Amino acid sequence: MSRSKITVKVLSADGLYKREIFKSPDPFAVLTVDGSQTQTTETAKRTASPHWNQSFDFSVTENSILIIQVFDQRKFKKKDQGFLGVINIRIGDYINFSDPTSEQTVSEELKKSNSSLPVSGKMIISISHKNNSRDSRDPTNFSRQSSSITNSTNTNNTTTTATNNNISNTPLNNNSSSQFPGIAASSSSVATATATNSSSYANLNSNNSATSASSPSSAGARQFSSFEDQLGRLPPGWERRTDNFGRTYYVDHNTRTTTWKRPTLDSSSNDQRNNNINNNTHTSTNIIGSSNNTLNNHNLTEEEASTLEATGQTVPGLGELPPGWEQRFTPEGRPYYVDHNTRTTTWVDPRRQQFVKSFGANSGYNAQRLSAMGPLPSGWEMRLANTSRVYFVDHNTKTTTWDDPRLPSSLDQNVPQYKRDFRRKLVYFRSQPALRILPGQCHIKVRRDCLLEDSFREVMRQTPEDLKKRLMIKFEGEEGLDYGGVSREFFQQLSHEVFNPAYGLFKYASSDNYTLQINPNSNINPEHLNYFKFVGRVVGLAVFHRRFLDAFFVGAMYKMMLRKKIVLQDLESVDSEMFKSLCWMLENDITDILYESFSVEEDRFGEKVVIDLKPNGRNVEVDNENKREFVELKTEWIISKPVEGQFRSFMEGFNELIPQELVQVFDERELELLIGGLAEIDVEDWKKHTDYRGYQESDEVIQWFWKAITEWESEQRARLLQFTTGTSRIPVNGFKDLQGSDGPRRFTIEKAGECDQLPKSHTCFNRVDLPPYKDYDTLKKKLTIAVENTIGFGQE
Amino acid sequence: MSMKRINKELQDIGRDPPSQCSAGPVGDDLFHWQASIIGPADSPYAGGVFFLAIHFPTDYPFKPPKIQFETKIYHPNINSNGNICLDILKEQWSPALTISKVLLSICSLLTDANPDDPLVPEIAHIYKNDRAKYEATAKEWTKKYAI
Repeated sequence: MSRSKITVKVLSADGLYKREIFKSPDPFAVLTVDGSQTQTTETAKRTASPHWNQSFDFSVTENSILIIQVFDQRKFKKKDQGFLGVINIRIGDYINFSDPTSEQTVSEELKKSNSSLPVSGKMIISISHKNNSRDSRDPTNFSRQSSSITNSTNTNNTTTTATNNNISNTPLNNNSSSQFPGIAASSSSVATATATNSSSYANLNSNNSATSASSPSSAGARQFSSFEDQLGRLPPGWERRTDNFGRTYYVDHNTRTTTWKRPTLDSSSNDQRNNNINNNTHTSTNIIGSSNNTLNNHNLTEEEASTLEATGQTVPGLGELPPGWEQRFTPEGRPYYVDHNTRTTTWVDPRRQQFVKSFGANSGYNAQRLSAMGPLPSGWEMRLANTSRVYFVDHNTKTTTWDDPRLPSSLDQNVPQYKRDFRRKLVYFRSQPALRILPGQCHIKVRRDCLLEDSFREVMRQTPEDLKKRLMIKFEGEEGLDYGGVSREFFQQLSHEVFNPAYGLFKYASSDNYTLQINPNSNINPEHLNYFKFVGRVVGLAVFHRRFLDAFFVGAMYKMMLRKKIVLQDLESVDSEMFKSLCWMLENDITDILYESFSVEEDRFGEKVVIDLKPNGRNVEVDNENKREFVELKTEWIISKPVEGQFRSFMEGFNELIPQELVQVFDERELELLIGGLAEIDVEDWKKHTDYRGYQESDEVIQWFWKAITEWESEQRARLLQFTTGTSRIPVNGFKDLQGSDGPRRFTIEKAGECDQLPKSHTCFNRVDLPPYKDYDTLKKKLTIAVENTIGFGQE
Repeated sequence: MSMKRINKELQDIGRDPPSQCSAGPVGDDLFHWQASIIGPADSPYAGGVFFLAIHFPTDYPFKPPKIQFETKIYHPNINSNGNICLDILKEQWSPALTISKVLLSICSLLTDANPDDPLVPEIAHIYKNDRAKYEATAKEWTKKYAI
């Protein structure tokens, strides 16, 4: 079945349930198609009738199920996540796949979840084609048309007569006869049929009755025996069954096979053509049918909901499966995927690519570049509650949750944006075939006292494929098998060497001396380009084998790695003087002050060379009108040009292990965490290089201080460090190199303040003012409060 | 282009020289100047003539000029190598500043030292605690090196 791009515009909701008398909810809607493509609207503030007017694109088949759940953002952290209702829509019921102009406005009552929380109001959306890429001759198109017709004949009349049902259920055939074992419940009327089928099967299959006119069930639909349906009797030896998801399938007892296709009495290959003929007669009335769809779809939703099955539904992706993958089917005929590389199975088609929107901390939502959502983490499964709400099973812990593990775990405003997205992206990133460890081992043997040279030799002599094998690091003369610990140490030690500015490959940023940038003068070492390729490989190797490097680069470096546009702000850490001057230039009248042209001068061994920033730039004067362009070009030139060769070699090495398109799912901040991790802070080293003013190391308060820090997790330690030094980063060589605003400044604890006050910090001097608290608990409490109330991790 | 801007400054200085100061290229190299400052009358440097070397970076005026005293001077913000601790030559530099303005700032630094941001802490200490001793030494150095 071909896929189409549709645009779903979430217009509004009306009359949402108010859990509180005086406060309206902050509603937002989460759209999920086939349990895998997820998009989220912005949060509307304080309203029970929000207007979102946001459009989202999805890749769908007509059997795709769109689930829209509405939540109250203010209560999202609560147990029920502020659930305000759900609607389920089968795309094919609303949009004509053969008509690219087809558009439908849908108004649906919101349904409850099984938590039985009261729900009210309705959801209004519109669905339209994004483009017309579909083959209009596709026979399955017609089934859609006929379904809309039958819907129209069925309007507001769910307790229909048997004849009516016979007509209205025709689409079932079309759906199930398509190649893809899709969701059986194609429209409201079909849903009724399958719902009742499942019960009738239990009741009737033993008595083998062929009754075709048994009394209507409570749902108002006619019941059929398991050997017949709306189209009449099945061929001999065939039986109709319903799986536990309410989907109808057919058992051929002659051949002991099952199929989603309804067999016909004549040759089964004819059945599609028959349907086409059948349906063609109705196409002219299609327009009327679709216009009635909205009305029609409110009716059978309870039954529909109970039979819809959208969980983990996978639609065959395009092209071949990745190497080592296989598609299999459950006994019920549901496709699943076996990853022989990791010996895991998943419902999610590995070829699937998605576009998602993710939650933003304050600004609403950020569009993510790439298929960041990815498959569920290993051991997770998506299921549907009997009220049609999606939930998730974590087989690892045998727990269930409403929370999509790929979505941010909570909407806590205090959790930085990057952290919530990062976890999800990491899951996607790690799951990619290109990042799988290859069979075999990669041995790297180094001497501690020649770490850089030995590592260079070892890493450069092996092929990138060799380096993707399980890493076995050995320090010469030392016992110890590498079960992770050795390689962890290897990368730590190696980063101290490679990134040590004394080697001349990297230098500190101009604004601090914690972050590193490529040294433009690294060519003092004639081998420098080979070394940069080596460094690139080492960074790639660490990322590939999930090790961290003790290195933090300037922001511009990460952006360059992601091929992002360099902007003026990036210059600050690279060249703060130039940054200030260019800022000044933008903010002030430059007439008679700057006499620049669109060129730069470079000093090459004493000779001044003019280089154009744009064609013929040296003859174009910079004035107040074009200075913005000048600043842009000059910024890019300053940042990338002097290190162009080095950077190219670095990326060459890096991309041998990490494909560019994969690393680009991250933003620059996330890339920093991917490479450097959250800095593991060595408390002993910290303690060793701390000065005291008014205290002595032996003082009780100081003992308590270090006790508290030792007990903390690394994130809290990092926060304390931020609180006192302004950054969570530690100099490459540890605390002894800590810098203040006026040169080297060791971490200092000063006796200052009253016992009822919180500790204070002076980031310029790396100093914390610690009042002489009377007991440990008070100290820990006050310190925690002080640290946690600082703004975390440079959120933008 | 820095060349054009430096030429402009040279013309301006010739047309409207700053009081007590002079400046100009050393030879053919427009990026290398020498300047002189006459010690301000109300300072212990009065009567002295202090020479300074000025180097314009290729990126001038995006980057500040490098200015050093060539004449030895006893001052809390100027060290024995002639380096000057002056904010406008570092983080407070702006392309709107010129050599002429910088020289005037140096003149006023001679009159009013900034002992709270010292380059030579010993001199700053004496400046703050024993002004008479500071002035005497500064005068002595001026007589010895700048006259």
